[in-house]
Amino acid sequence: MWCASIGYWLPSGNDLMRVGPDLALIAAIVLILLTTMVTGRRALATAVIVMLGLTAGFLLNWNAGVWVSHHGPDTILEPVPASMIIVDGFTVYFRFLLLIFLAGVTSFWLLGANRQEKDSPEFFTLLLGSAVGMSLMVSTLNLLMIVVAMELASLPSYALAAFDRNSRKGAEAAVKYVIFGSITAATMVYGVSLLYGLFGTLNLAEIAQQMPFVLAEHGRTPLFYLAILAFAVGVGFKISAVPFHFWCPDVFEGARVEVTMWLSVASKAAGLCLLLRVMQTLAAGPTGAVGEYVGPIAGAIGLFAALTCFVGNLSAYRQTSVKRLLAYSSIAHAGYMLMLGAILLRPELSEGAWTAIIAYLLIYMFMNLGAFGVTALVEHYSGSDHIEQFNGLGRRAPWLAVAMAVCLFSLVGLPPLGGFLAKWWLLWALADGGGWLWALVIWACLNTAFSLFYYARIIKHMFLTEDTREKMRVPMSGVAIVQLCAVVLILTGTILAAPIRTAATRYAQGLLQSRTAETLTLTDHAPDETHESMLHH
Amino acid sequence: MLVLATVGLTHYLVLAAAVFCIGVWVMVTKRNAIGVLIGVELVLNASNINLVAMSRYLHGIDGQVVALFVIVLAAAEAAIAVAIVMNFYRNLATVDVDRGTSLKN
Repeated sequence: MWCASIGYWLPSGNDLMRVGPDLALIAAIVLILLTTMVTGRRALATAVIVMLGLTAGFLLNWNAGVWVSHHGPDTILEPVPASMIIVDGFTVYFRFLLLIFLAGVTSFWLLGANRQEKDSPEFFTLLLGSAVGMSLMVSTLNLLMIVVAMELASLPSYALAAFDRNSRKGAEAAVKYVIFGSITAATMVYGVSLLYGLFGTLNLAEIAQQMPFVLAEHGRTPLFYLAILAFAVGVGFKISAVPFHFWCPDVFEGARVEVTMWLSVASKAAGLCLLLRVMQTLAAGPTGAVGEYVGPIAGAIGLFAALTCFVGNLSAYRQTSVKRLLAYSSIAHAGYMLMLGAILLRPELSEGAWTAIIAYLLIYMFMNLGAFGVTALVEHYSGSDHIEQFNGLGRRAPWLAVAMAVCLFSLVGLPPLGGFLAKWWLLWALADGGGWLWALVIWACLNTAFSLFYYARIIKHMFLTEDTREKMRVPMSGVAIVQLCAVVLILTGTILAAPIRTAATRYAQGLLQSRTAETLTLTDHAPDETHESMLHH
Repeated sequence: MLVLATVGLTHYLVLAAAVFCIGVWVMVTKRNAIGVLIGVELVLNASNINLVAMSRYLHGIDGQVVALFVIVLAAAEAAIAVAIVMNFYRNLATVDVDRGTSLKN
């Protein structure tokens, strides 16, 4: 079988176009390193290359998106149904988010980077490296590729957290991050080795096919549970779900604010999308791979999601560092999104779940880009992210304060902002499930009400606390970016709401159709005749 | 010879499980950052034993390929982790992970 596949070993040019965005980012990394050797360390040259890379990535991704919408999903190295890299609508969508967010992080780094001009090449090499890892995380169903992609996303992130070499906090944050990260990654690799042993394949789609038979044959061995648990540890760390969230606030507070911005959104979104894709694959098995376990699995995910929400909101309450507060808020939001995992395994609800997650990710990205952007500007121009630095911001920098207020209200989920609709759709999808899912919906509503208090505290500091300091001088471009985020949030909450809903629904339908087609082709390949015969008994 | 002839998959799996448990124990009990990293290496190598043994048993080469990747990943991770621990030492003059207390609410 392996000899036969050698002829297909090299991906065709057509296939390479589908992974073009990743290749563009890698090319940008190489170019940055070369340029640094030739012209020395220049922030501007580096930024130009990064922007070129992002533009190329954007165009190539557009191209891939058009191709996918005409031809259906592309699995690279198709003849061996290994699904090493899958480029489907969801991959394309996630890459778009990632590239837009990268552009935002790049801009804020440049606005505050006058001092650290020398370090720009390293920063962007690491940043783009982790972006490639995240993009690959979302476009694979192969256990080996998942491990490699997660490490590719994590290793540069560790270094990014320690980017300020002379900062005591940064050093501490990075050590906590790297220790926690490598422990969970190692546990996950052990889980992967057990899964490989149990199912004899690294392809998750095939694992989903065989799971009912293997479970019927060997019963539920402790080894199986250990494998699933160990795998979940690795993913849980990425999402910072309870109980793997301890690293998150410390790292977010200690790292530079651009790094915090990057980790809080991109890294979490990548982990979450990976988890959703894996669950979707398990749900699409022949009889629903997990069969009778749908209930317990959904219950466990719902429980952890509820806990994650609660811990995030409760801990955010008394924070004085705005970065740390937003870190806890992002834990809470990861919890809301994780709730959708509870309904993803039920085929009749999965369309609603995907629609909600697609819309939520988009709006979540803009909310955080805006909120962290304002925090970044305040930190750059007043030296700290302490909540008292926000005192009187409504007078000292009105445009910043207004944008911040919009982003915070949207994070709470108040109408008429995008955050409200995203949360509404999410809860609506949950409520469709009925039964105990109503408890999750009520829990999420209570949490939302509670979260209003700590978000409103920042707003109180901005508008109601007197402050005699002079006006803050912030660059127009920075204000423009955060204002843009605020405008997007207002528009998505009002006139753009219906188009987004339609687009997200269409996207979700496309995804699910292609997934069914994929499962059908895989059934032809599945080489387990013994298992087939067991089915007929 | 007789003993060698009866070494089967189970023995390897038990060995791997033992190495895994030792690794987890080291990770949990050590307060020294380098000690924790040694525990991580043990866990990674436990999965390597697993992968190679199962690959042999399943008559495929996937497991061995994964083991090669894991070796490389472990090296990369160790390089970054040790650099970060060095930086921690330069700033705080200790490698005890519990001493890092400036980030608390």
